[in-house]
Amino acid sequence: MSEVQRRKYSQEERSVIFDGEFMPHIDSMYNFAFRLTFDEDDAKDLVQDTYMKAFRFINSFEQGTNAKAWLFRILKNSFINDYRKKSKKPATVDYQEVETFYNSDDVDYQSTSDLRAESVKDMLGDEISNALNGLAVDFRTVIILADLEGFTYEEMAKILDIPIGTVRSRLHRARNLLKDSLKSYAQSMGYGRDEEED
Amino acid sequence: MENKDASSPERKLQCSDVGKCFQLLERILDGELVEGGNEMLQEKLDQCQPCFAHFHLEQAIREVLKTKCTKQPLPDKLAESIRQMIQDAR
Repeated sequence: MSEVQRRKYSQEERSVIFDGEFMPHIDSMYNFAFRLTFDEDDAKDLVQDTYMKAFRFINSFEQGTNAKAWLFRILKNSFINDYRKKSKKPATVDYQEVETFYNSDDVDYQSTSDLRAESVKDMLGDEISNALNGLAVDFRTVIILADLEGFTYEEMAKILDIPIGTVRSRLHRARNLLKDSLKSYAQSMGYGRDEEED
Repeated sequence: MENKDASSPERKLQCSDVGKCFQLLERILDGELVEGGNEMLQEKLDQCQPCFAHFHLEQAIREVLKTKCTKQPLPDKLAESIRQMIQDAR
């Protein structure tokens, strides 16, 4: 992830890095882009832009370090800087508002969820995806990075340019929001109830 | 090993420090190893019902996200067009 690295790669080395370390992540990159934009063309543009930038700035990539995290960081920055500005569909929740709401390390851990693990396991992929897609983009992003892509807190902190404590608290809040959504769904389907156990 | 029963008479029904416990459980589930975490985890799961329920719910959420979220197929020719763009840029 180092950006002070300024060694020059030869043309051949650049090809090796690009094909060997960058291109294998194209599936994950496209899925990330699609989950951010919900639009096939926008996702394609975002992935193309990201790979172009990755190629242009390849000298700041340190060979052998985490290429996937490096690429995800570029994609996320491109999304914020380019895509969000020209978006036809503005985010449903104002970014600043969300940021001030959750940008702290204080987290409200509560033991109030009556959603059951069994109900969650019974849910279909579409139900899970819809609940995830319904989250504001910043909450959605941390869940995608942690649970779908398997990044560590430390990698996420670098990708998102936020402290690790904020990663943890944002992730916790995101999962709580997701649970709320899944709970409403479970209740509407009648399989989130505890009455048999009372 | 781990008691899989949803409820057990040995577990207390109130957790005395929900904030600390749940944060610890979530960090362990996220693969962020905490020193002595496994022993603490086992103790909580054996002795505390809210911790037991929270752990299994959080585990289920992570599992379904990982395994069930619908994947978007990569559009035809996207990889090819990227390679072409790079070729042209050289």
